[in-house]
Amino acid sequence: MRRRRFIANILRTAALLGTVPRVVLGQSQEGDRPMSLTDPEAETLSKWCDLLAPGAARAGVARYVDQNISGRFGESMLLLRYLDSGAMLPFYRGGIAGIEQESQHRFAMGFARLDPQQSGEIVAAAARSKTEAWTTPDPNFFYFISRSDAVDMVYGTEAGFAQLDIPYLAHIDPPKPW
Amino acid sequence: MTDHTHDPVDVVIAGSGIAGSTMAAELAEAGFSVLVLEAGPERKLSEMVSSQIWSRRLRWAGPEVIETGDLVGAANFAMGWGTGGAGLHWYANWYRLHPDDFRVNTLHGKSLDWPITYDDLRPWYDHAQTYFGVSGDAKADQWSPQSDPYPMPPLPLSRQSQALKKGFDAVGLALVPNSLAVNSQSYDGRAGCILDGWCDAGCPIGALANPLVLQWPKAFKAGAKLRHHAYVSKITTDPSGKRATGVEYLDEQGARHVQPAAIVIPACHTIWNARLLLLSANDQHPDGLGNGSGLLGRHFTSHALTTIHGLFPDETEPYRGVTGANTLCLEGYDDKTPAKGAFGSRAWLAAQATKPNDLLGLALARPELYGAALDDYMRRAARHYGNMTVLCEETSIPENRIELDSQKDRFGLPAAKVTNTLPKDNAARSDLARAEGLKIFKAAGVSAPWAGQRAPMHMMGGTIMGDDPATSVTNSFGQTHDVENLFLAGASLFPTPGAVNPTATLAALVFRTAKHISDNRAALLR
Ligand SMILES: Cc1cc2nc3c(=O)[nH]c(=O)nc-3n(C[C@H](O)[C@H](O)[C@H](O)COP(=O)(O)OP(=O)(O)OC[C@H]3O[C@@H](n4cnc5c(N)ncnc54)[C@H](O)[C@@H]3O)c2cc1C
Ligand code: SF4
Repeated sequence: MRRRRFIANILRTAALLGTVPRVVLGQSQEGDRPMSLTDPEAETLSKWCDLLAPGAARAGVARYVDQNISGRFGESMLLLRYLDSGAMLPFYRGGIAGIEQESQHRFAMGFARLDPQQSGEIVAAAARSKTEAWTTPDPNFFYFISRSDAVDMVYGTEAGFAQLDIPYLAHIDPPKPW
Repeated sequence: MTDHTHDPVDVVIAGSGIAGSTMAAELAEAGFSVLVLEAGPERKLSEMVSSQIWSRRLRWAGPEVIETGDLVGAANFAMGWGTGGAGLHWYANWYRLHPDDFRVNTLHGKSLDWPITYDDLRPWYDHAQTYFGVSGDAKADQWSPQSDPYPMPPLPLSRQSQALKKGFDAVGLALVPNSLAVNSQSYDGRAGCILDGWCDAGCPIGALANPLVLQWPKAFKAGAKLRHHAYVSKITTDPSGKRATGVEYLDEQGARHVQPAAIVIPACHTIWNARLLLLSANDQHPDGLGNGSGLLGRHFTSHALTTIHGLFPDETEPYRGVTGANTLCLEGYDDKTPAKGAFGSRAWLAAQATKPNDLLGLALARPELYGAALDDYMRRAARHYGNMTVLCEETSIPENRIELDSQKDRFGLPAAKVTNTLPKDNAARSDLARAEGLKIFKAAGVSAPWAGQRAPMHMMGGTIMGDDPATSVTNSFGQTHDVENLFLAGASLFPTPGAVNPTATLAALVFRTAKHISDNRAALLR
């Protein structure tokens, strides 16, 4: 039942996403294609995460998620791996589809085209479990997980610590931020 | 169909975490040929990258646990995967159960009794604290059970602890230096802690006792062998069903291997210990090995955890210290009936070093904030945040259990399902602790402290020990009542959880069992 709902969401979103303009994916991603997500899915996720933690898009959150759902589960760096070790790609796909569904339901257009107030309304709805059309995956849980991904990018790297003006104090420096 | 049969060994252990590696080192040093089968990959100290992002690669990547009940969500967080298991990213808070924790049923008419007392286990606790290297101040912590002096003095009081202490003082509770398996000075060839707060990502300098620096060097030196990517799927027995003959395991390609052994010891962590015995059902043991009592998988327990948070007027340097806790309050722990309708002990672990991200990070302490509000909070929290955690006891009841589900995991085996619902009087105890915590923060000068949602922490029970084969799975040595050469290692043996982190007790039990196996060598190896 849950899976069928996922698939329905994905199909609907795929149909809707064909026409949206491309949003900026972020410096570290310029020229790179996502491995598992589609370009429009990556764009939606990027814009969504940037609303949660401003700066996440530029720091490359869509690519971070995409890479970490594309490899082996044991190599994944996402918080999701220890809160729900089920398949990751359907979870993110379903969440992105949910955002689009909510956007169509409320404003009759894709998420990428919403103005800040409109997109903020959808974030607020997910954070408070008040979405009207988006039901799976649990919008509040998707908010929680994607917010953590955004936080990783903005505050969890050496650059993020520096931005907060706190020392990093590494034993072993990360070979790259993620 | 069997693909590979290996040469027999004296002892085969499933799981290379703190339980498995300590057992391997002890038995190899006692002259047994020991093989450890570890489901996950080989780990090295160089993988302990100081980053909450990179640290997730050390975490559980085994099959998913299906969880139901109102105190769930910890299963995948609580386990390790690969050499050393969760011992690579544990926090090393080091506590003994209290004498009353071993006799809860006798004293209160609920939960269970252990088949041993605190006095039986005390020498093994004393041995374990020397082996692991524990720092602390037993004199100041007069609410902990009697013990030998800790081998090392405590870590210095952090700025977070100093800020919190005002609150504890004001409400008349003693906040004392924490006891930790973390070196406050160099110890046993390992460095002292430099208080950088990266324990959750692993301590590559070995100041925090982890199996890569402590048990595995000893075990390898004594000749123990370790095989990775070896997922133990079944314990086999002889036709009588009274003796285990070894284990079957699956390698990375899914090929089946048979490993004969004279003694079999699952040390896979709580859920997987019980599940392995359930999976090993055969004609002689149709309900699972060691399930003569019908209690295999039952009496699962956890600790009900609540976190208290706040922003202090003074700077607290939350990013420094140890991830575990810098200070501790056990005053009042022994009062298991603090109010009508409330039951169980509680322990306060205070001033945990906190980095910006991850499950226990600054940002997820305020999950409702996003956008500019999150950024404002992060900038203040990075310097002024303080936190503490209360662990509350869960009464051991048979309804909370581990069982096999009809869904299959990726190895094609029935998935593990855990049911855990917190009894009402434990929930009431947890609510009291929450109120106490908020009061302490207010008394410390925090104007608007907040509490996180109740969550489970630690997993215990499921293969409980006892004297009576009709009401327990193993005897006090972790030896199953039904299969004489099958022992279990780990917190799955605990009949009751107390309200303190389990690893000191788990380790003390391993040392005691290893001695028992050694003393009964001839009978067990026959
Ligand atoms: C973040 C965190 C912090 C913690 N902090 C503390 C603390 O401060 N104090 C404290 O007392 N405790 C703490 N704990 C708990 C502590 O880590 C555990 O009690 C301890 O590590 C358990 O050791 P174990 O060997 O029983 O299990 P694990 O360390 O989980 O090891 C089990 C091993 O078995 C392997 N395995 C599982 N199934 C199979 C199979 N079928 N075949 C082969 N191998 C298998 C796993 O891959 C794993 O490596 C913490 C835990 C976590 C996760
Ligand atoms: S804070 Fe201490 S124990 Fe923790 S990782 Fe750093 S040196 Fe190791």
